[in-house]
Amino acid sequence: MGDLNNPGIDGAARPVLDAASMAELRALDPDGKAQLVKRVLATYQASLAKLVDQLRVARADGAWEQVGRVAHTLKSSSASIGALGLSALCADIERLIRAGDAAGAEPLLEQFHAEVRRVDAAVGQTLQHLEAAAS
Amino acid sequence: MTLHHGVSLEATDRRPTVLLVDDDEVNLLMTAAALRDRGFDITSCTGGEEALTRLASWTPDVVVLDAIMPGLDGFETCVALRNMPGFDNVPVLMLTGLDDEASINRAYQVGATDFFVKATQWSLLAGRLRYLLRASRTRQELERSKAKLARAQDLARMGSFDWWQDDNRSFVNGLELSEEGLRVFGYGPDDRVNLRDMLRMIAPTDREPLVRLARQILYQVSVIATDVPMTLPDGRFRIIHVEAEPEFDEHGHCCAYTGIVQDVTDRRIAEDRIRHLANYDALTNLPNRRQLIWRAERALEFGRRLGHQVALLLIDLDRFKVINDTLGHAAGDELLMEVAFRLRGCVRHCEQLFEGVIETAGSRSHRTLEAVGRLGGDEFVALLPEVADEADAQRVATRILEALREPVVVAGQDCFATASVGIALFPRDGNTVADLLRNSDVAMYAVKSQGRNDALVYTPRLAGRGREKLALESALHKAIERDELVLYYQPKVDVANGKMVGVEALMRWRRGDLLIQPADFIPVAEETGLIVPMSEWALRQAAKQARIWADAFGFADSIAVNMPNRMFERTDLIEQISSAVREEGIPHSMIQLEITETGLMKDLQRVIPSLHRLTEIGVQIAVDDFGTGYSSLAYLTSLPIAEVKIDRSFVRDLGVLPQSLAVVTAIIALAKSLDLKVVAEGVENQRQQDVLYGEGCSLMQGFLFSKPMPPEDVQAWMESVSLPRKVVAAPSAAKVRADAGEVVDVGRRS
Repeated sequence: MGDLNNPGIDGAARPVLDAASMAELRALDPDGKAQLVKRVLATYQASLAKLVDQLRVARADGAWEQVGRVAHTLKSSSASIGALGLSALCADIERLIRAGDAAGAEPLLEQFHAEVRRVDAAVGQTLQHLEAAAS
Repeated sequence: MTLHHGVSLEATDRRPTVLLVDDDEVNLLMTAAALRDRGFDITSCTGGEEALTRLASWTPDVVVLDAIMPGLDGFETCVALRNMPGFDNVPVLMLTGLDDEASINRAYQVGATDFFVKATQWSLLAGRLRYLLRASRTRQELERSKAKLARAQDLARMGSFDWWQDDNRSFVNGLELSEEGLRVFGYGPDDRVNLRDMLRMIAPTDREPLVRLARQILYQVSVIATDVPMTLPDGRFRIIHVEAEPEFDEHGHCCAYTGIVQDVTDRRIAEDRIRHLANYDALTNLPNRRQLIWRAERALEFGRRLGHQVALLLIDLDRFKVINDTLGHAAGDELLMEVAFRLRGCVRHCEQLFEGVIETAGSRSHRTLEAVGRLGGDEFVALLPEVADEADAQRVATRILEALREPVVVAGQDCFATASVGIALFPRDGNTVADLLRNSDVAMYAVKSQGRNDALVYTPRLAGRGREKLALESALHKAIERDELVLYYQPKVDVANGKMVGVEALMRWRRGDLLIQPADFIPVAEETGLIVPMSEWALRQAAKQARIWADAFGFADSIAVNMPNRMFERTDLIEQISSAVREEGIPHSMIQLEITETGLMKDLQRVIPSLHRLTEIGVQIAVDDFGTGYSSLAYLTSLPIAEVKIDRSFVRDLGVLPQSLAVVTAIIALAKSLDLKVVAEGVENQRQQDVLYGEGCSLMQGFLFSKPMPPEDVQAWMESVSLPRKVVAAPSAAKVRADAGEVVDVGRRS
């Protein structure tokens, strides 16, 4: 799993997943016995899909408060796995919605979905690498 | 306080348990991993509802709640948790966002212990949790220690109070009792009491001195420590101990007292009981030696000051030892109680004395010292704190003797518990209690030696018999009670067949480490009359021994007990012997009585009836020391005796003095003609044995065969013994006489 820090993984200049955050995550389970990294990423990927769905529905219903709550949750869990870009977007969205500025949040939500796709892909790829390393 | 929780924390080496609640599963997973890694035992929940369900059946050491969650959020969960029983003190840590000040404030409002900004700095989180746990543990220990103190105070029926001065420098209004303090007086925790309420619980007679004492204490700013008798609002009488120390303001003025109140009623009762036990005899409830001596000393002080006489009567029961031995200790105790009761009626016995009372109660107060007490055993003392003269004391003594004249029924039998009373007067017969006790003792022994059941006033003439003898007498008297007397046994053997035919019981006195021989105490015993109880004891002891030997090795011979002639004059001798043998289940014939020839002749007419009756019931009589007295041979022929014992002095001189051989020969011949057994005493060597045997005397006793020995050695002696020489055939008398004559010659030449 050494190539997790590879900046060129998705062809972008900034890595989708922050290397330092990933290192912290690995440090929680240094010998990989608990397969913590794999479990965390799998959990993240599952909750990401669930939360993005919730967000879409809420946005369509105009339930902005719910949108803000999803953003809050995704903000901290994304930060935890090193998806700092996505976490920052979530923080902005949460703040704007709490401030009552749903219109201001709209453009950010477009960016949010793009970033979600990148993070999802990076997490998926990392998980594949982990599988490969384990077998 | 949550005791079960506190107990669970005591195992500090155990991993602290944490309930982690976060809807963000990723964060939950990572936080759990991080904290597990740092020594915590993590249970995870993804929502408030799930968390509360878990907590219904389990109490973690600490709860970590994410503030923002869908459904029940962290705040609502915290409120719900605090409302659950047992969760008021469980630490709760609220996880909030960095920029979320509203959440932080709200966290405290809902009862969270602390907040923590969500971050991946796990060490900080772990540190915070540990701090919370430690604080919680300290708090619990404090709670527990407070509870323990309250419980201890409750158990000790103790509580604290503060008593302070108000603005007018008055102590009347400022009083506050702790909950436990209120409980001491029977109040509830919400009751309020003031100083007046307290004073009302004290009897008016006690109140005034207490108020005086309180004023004095406040004036001197001293420590309060006093017992106050109180009647509590619920009617209970209690003794409350109050102890307090002054507190001072910044100017050094005493502004308050702080202290404790304690119900010490039980302790006082116990103290009184201890005092009673220390001063009163447990059996008779009379004053004991210590109390009597204390009273007597006070009485002497009064006598000295007021110039009157004090009398001390020493009362010793005459036959207590016999009653105790024959009827048992329980009967003996019963007798002592009855005697105590009767004696008490003979004086103005004052039950209780409180030290200090007599000093203040007026000039006749020494009368309250009057009492009967028990010195120990069967010895009582009557203290008369004021007597006009000797006759006064004698009147009381007579009353005592009268009171004991009626029989006492113990163990279903009439017992006659007569007493001997010795009287000593202060100042004439002694200036100290010790002197008076000793001299009343002298007088009492004089009564004993004159036949008991009487009273005598001490005179110096009584003491003239010499201190040493008195001491011996006194010690001997106690020897009986203390079981210091022992019987040793010397076998009588028949040298014709080498068999033991009986034993003679010989008294010894085991006084400390010494074994005192009869010659050193029997004369004194004879003189004082102690010989009577001693002989009675010897009879019962011999009967017991006969039983023991009969059981151990089939002993079927007789044990000879020496009896002074005065025993034969007693009408109850037959009954004594019969009861002794009956008790042991042995035939009368196993007891033989020895009376000295001198004793026998002293008052022959009075002894003869006993001898006949003894013989009738099968108790054989042996005449001891035969040849030394002046037996009237005429009487001897008609006396119911079975055996004569040749005095050791003749045996010793056999072969030395020809007269001895003549006497021995004469005695043997006489005995044979009267059909009496004849036993030679003091046989120490082979020659003596041979001469005696040659003269036709085969029964012997002496060191040649065995010294007197303790009873446990007798069986072994019987089994090991081989008599010096088994005489197969009697040598001719002439031959032996010739041998003896030669020895005599040798003796003369040397």
